[in-house]
Amino acid sequence: MIKARPLSFSSHFGSIVRSYIFLIIAFNFINGKDIVSESIIPDLKVKLLNGSTTTLHKLSQDGPLLIDFWATWCVPCKKVMKYLNQYHEEYANDNFKVLMINTDTPRSLGKVRGFIKSQNYSFNVGMDPNKVLSKKLNGMIMPTLILVDKGGVIKWRHQGYVAGEEVEIEEQIKQVLGKSINEKNKG
Amino acid sequence: MRKIRDRATCYTFGTFLISSSIIIANDIGFSGAVNASYGNSYDFYNFSENLLDLNFFYNDVQGWVQYEYSNPPDIGFTTNDIRKFRLEYVADDFLIKLGDIYQFWGRGLVLNQFDDQVTHFDNGTRGLYLEYNKYPFSFSHLNGNSDIWMLGGGARIPENNNIHNMSANRINYDFSTLALGFTQLETNEKHSLNSGPPVDINHNILGSYISWAGNFSDIFLEYADKVSTMSVSNFGGIPNDTLKRGYGYYQNINIYLGNWGLTTEYKRYSFDRLYGDLTANEYGNKIEYQQMPTLAKEHNSTLLGRVSHTYSFNDERGIQFELNGSIMNMAISMQYAHLSRNEKWRSNSENDWSHSIIDNYLPSSDFSALPYWENYNEISGYTLNERLYFKIGHGINREIIKNLRNFVGYQRDLSSIDTSYIEVYDSLEWDGTWYFDTTFIPLYDSIFTNEYNVESKLWQEAESFTIPVELNYFLKSGYSIGIGYQYQERKKFNRLKGNATNYDYGKSKWTMYNPDDYSQTFSTKTTQFATENGPAHKQFNRLISFSLSKASKWSLTITHDATSAFESGQLKDPYYNPLEALIYGDIKYFIGKRKNTNSPKWAQNRWVSAEFAYNITSSQRVSIMYGSIQGGLFCSNGICRIIPPFNDGVKVSYNASF
Repeated sequence: MIKARPLSFSSHFGSIVRSYIFLIIAFNFINGKDIVSESIIPDLKVKLLNGSTTTLHKLSQDGPLLIDFWATWCVPCKKVMKYLNQYHEEYANDNFKVLMINTDTPRSLGKVRGFIKSQNYSFNVGMDPNKVLSKKLNGMIMPTLILVDKGGVIKWRHQGYVAGEEVEIEEQIKQVLGKSINEKNKG
Repeated sequence: MRKIRDRATCYTFGTFLISSSIIIANDIGFSGAVNASYGNSYDFYNFSENLLDLNFFYNDVQGWVQYEYSNPPDIGFTTNDIRKFRLEYVADDFLIKLGDIYQFWGRGLVLNQFDDQVTHFDNGTRGLYLEYNKYPFSFSHLNGNSDIWMLGGGARIPENNNIHNMSANRINYDFSTLALGFTQLETNEKHSLNSGPPVDINHNILGSYISWAGNFSDIFLEYADKVSTMSVSNFGGIPNDTLKRGYGYYQNINIYLGNWGLTTEYKRYSFDRLYGDLTANEYGNKIEYQQMPTLAKEHNSTLLGRVSHTYSFNDERGIQFELNGSIMNMAISMQYAHLSRNEKWRSNSENDWSHSIIDNYLPSSDFSALPYWENYNEISGYTLNERLYFKIGHGINREIIKNLRNFVGYQRDLSSIDTSYIEVYDSLEWDGTWYFDTTFIPLYDSIFTNEYNVESKLWQEAESFTIPVELNYFLKSGYSIGIGYQYQERKKFNRLKGNATNYDYGKSKWTMYNPDDYSQTFSTKTTQFATENGPAHKQFNRLISFSLSKASKWSLTITHDATSAFESGQLKDPYYNPLEALIYGDIKYFIGKRKNTNSPKWAQNRWVSAEFAYNITSSQRVSIMYGSIQGGLFCSNGICRIIPPFNDGVKVSYNASF
């Protein structure tokens, strides 16, 4: 039998304080306004959908690389995918690439290639069914975008997608490419 | 219950701080994530869960530490310690891992390890992993221990745990589009029973897989064979004698044509069998490392998630087809799945069951094989100059949940008892003289009628029909408006069929539906849903959400979840909160004429919540939720969890990655 009880934070005050301290400690590791560390992305191996294997450094050695973690059941991931494919094709001459790392489990792994083919997407698709890459790059929340420059330095991170955020994504890509924000419109 | 080890925590955390400082000082690459969540509700669903993940990268060495402070967590044990750690050395040919290891081979028929905190399932191994790569071959070895906890009767605190001491090996041949692998796994398990001391079992699995990917099609096949033996004598058994033997087979063939892709899947898992649900007391079957494809649609709709089928990795076969394509920039997806057990079950009496293996490769539609059908179609895309995103789905499913009785046989009735006498003639010779005697012995003999057919079937069945709709309209100013609507009709009933109603143990016979005409059959459905006015034939569920977002800044979502009827035991919303009163425009609440703990009847089957999410920076996000959330079934990766209701509560979550 559930008894009536007023909503109270006091009983959990101690745990909130501890949680807060915990977070403060975590943030103390980080310098700068944003907590994105401009460190070089680790040279992790990636198995691509076509069966070949590459590494993150190889993919970013010619130009910037945008990594996105996704799954076939993730609706926001599918929404942003359309724009990421558009940027992958639009900035291909600047050696910009998009790597979509799929995290589907065996439950839906067999459907990944069919989905990509059905949408005619041309970006690179990596496979991470065991979430090895997503754990190492902290991409457990989907979609998570990580933008690295030509040298492999992480320049920008973003979690989630709501409509309209594709504008900021493109701005970040242009910044990394050293392009003017309005260059596309002028062109 | 695990204790909070404060002193140990101080040491570990101090070590963590020092090592982290060294990392920064030496400019070693690192990345991390913080996930903190806090919840407090009227019905004691309170939690405080904080996780810090830190990854280190230095030349060929990589490390990972996960620190948890949870008191208590959403699900699991109170923890204040380093939860997970791993150190890796990666060279050109070698890979060495030490610590908490998660491996995935083939499609998981032998080994698929993951840590799913939502369902509290973690089948990782703490130990050593070695991999040697010599193209096109690779050799892998995994060795260590796993302590796997599972939920029992409680919704939040795990009660059962199985301990494994395991080793696994794999040889993989990976040449361009062709891959071939052989796997082997052996584990000594200390298996917990529902009551009594645990049992020691040895499991040995041998598996192989092959895959090929072409331009227009690809194929994947995997087979696993498993033998389980008792490690020691138990219940008078023979040590090392085979306890159970089983196998699993999975195939996936995809065909691509233009911008259309057809996915076909087939599975047949047969590691153990029972007419009902297998419990912890049935051991020696599929082990926790085996996490295989389920062959069903992985839904992102809340209402479809609630009617998810509970898959059996021990005994299930099935097929699934999914067609994905696009027409006029609209994505189209059509899916169909049919699953069933591998055998049909007959009840010889109420408690005595026998089975017969289904004599083909396809799933059965016989109710005693617990079939499940699912069909989901979806269309999504952009319209109105790419400003409106839409997604419309249509899902139906039907399943036999329980096979409670399936008797088809004969019986005879007692027509009379023969009480007549028989004459027995006896003779005896005595002293040359014969004596004759005649005795009358009463005869008590049962006289039966001719045999007649008896059929008595009882099963539980459920079916649902769901339409999820999502619309998002983007404004030029960076704002967007979203509306979500999910409608569901659901039936759940007990079906009784045949010419006999039940078995009468007193008379040791089936009770016929019509005692005057045994050939007369009947069929009844008893619904499992009810309202305050009595039984309800259908349950209607409606989930409406409205959201307003500012790109890259914030989003506000209000969700209204309503149901028309309840299953027995399902809890109603016991607390009437101001958000609900505001949504319903209930003036009485605000002028003090309603009590929070005495919800109006029309509000007891509705749950309202509001969530505000704010992006502090592009990699930091905080969200606050207030209101009530209906509990129910949540399934992920083939593992289902009953989530308790969260009534009149606050949830705060913070996550950051760096």
